Amino acid sequence: MTASSNNRILGIKNRYLVLVLLIGWAVAYNIMPPVLVHIQLPPEELTHPVQLPILGKFAFTNTMAAMLLADLILLVLAFAFSRSARAALAAGARAISGVSGALEALMEALYGLTETNAGRWTREIFPWFATIMLVVLVNNWLELIPGVDSIGILHADEHGYPVQELAFGTTLVAGDAHHAAGGLFGLVPFVRVNSTDLNFTVALALIAVVMVQVFGIRALGVGYFKKFWNTSTLFTKPMFGVIDFGVGLLELVSEFSKILSFSFRLFGNVFAGSVLLFVIGFLVPSFAQTIFLMLEFGVGLIQAVVFGMLTMVFMSQAVVSHHGDEHADPEGAAAQH
Amino acid sequence: MEGNIYQMGQVIGAGLAMMGAIGAGAGIGIVVSGAVQAMGRNPDFAGTIQTNMILGIAFAESIAIYCLVVALLILFVGV
Repeated sequence: MTASSNNRILGIKNRYLVLVLLIGWAVAYNIMPPVLVHIQLPPEELTHPVQLPILGKFAFTNTMAAMLLADLILLVLAFAFSRSARAALAAGARAISGVSGALEALMEALYGLTETNAGRWTREIFPWFATIMLVVLVNNWLELIPGVDSIGILHADEHGYPVQELAFGTTLVAGDAHHAAGGLFGLVPFVRVNSTDLNFTVALALIAVVMVQVFGIRALGVGYFKKFWNTSTLFTKPMFGVIDFGVGLLELVSEFSKILSFSFRLFGNVFAGSVLLFVIGFLVPSFAQTIFLMLEFGVGLIQAVVFGMLTMVFMSQAVVSHHGDEHADPEGAAAQH
Repeated sequence: MEGNIYQMGQVIGAGLAMMGAIGAGAGIGIVVSGAVQAMGRNPDFAGTIQTNMILGIAFAESIAIYCLVVALLILFVGV
């Protein structure tokens, strides 16, 4: 046993620091108990709404701030990656190291996954998969940053909590509502996770489903619509023709239900996750939230992968011709054998 | 003993809406059981099976998420 491994317990370096933080956490909880936040479904507006010509009423909401933040993070990552890749190429290195190397490994894994599903359409479909996955991933993981959902503007609210001044310009929400001197206040956070806003998820789902149709038309031309309006076998084979026609109409319905399921899946998971974090932070303030933050880490990752992968799978299904299905009837199969 | 009948209806309705999660839970269990058996039989295809398993889980889960969204709408938006 060396000295450095002696200093480790459960793989944690400087365990005394962890202990001090835990005790400080418990003390802080007793001095300043956390409050249950006011939960609302639509995003809070940070500016006064203005009337725009075509779009109608528009206000800058805190989920838009989260979107800008996520875009900034993605841009910084992209530029850092391209810079370090160029530097590695110029230095004659055979591999990129650090965060860029991890990004490269992620991209390679995603590309391999696309290749097994999309075949020769990989180069067209992969950018959509990777972009959607990265945007959703960064947006979901913003939830884990301290200060998101908890730093914002105070406003008067009869269901709120009294506040007290901590330092110049900084106020702290106090839990005890009995001796309210300066009125009750609620908090409008500056940044709220984007995936808890239905506008974002519906927009992303619309983009995904519309691009699936665009890929289908690019690959199969007008014949793509035969998937939805299938009259080719309606008169030649009466019974199976009617069934094929009905299946085509069901395909049309399923395209619309894809929009619903895409948007509600992401929204429901992330919104329920943030409500869970609020409630757990209120009920068991010390330590318990850590476990649920880890759970949210996993949920955010899985939802991002699922959103991107479903888009990719739908796109790869759309570019494949369905002509083969017409010969799958019993007589055709019997004739081949 | 505070609140009113409206709030009571909201809370009970949200709880009843979440009963749809029963089916999704059973469905996810069936999906994962089948996938794990398949992986045990031929581990070479574990990657492909896992991809399809996650897709199946996502489809089954989305039903539970619909219920969750309905429950959240009842609780926080009101009808």
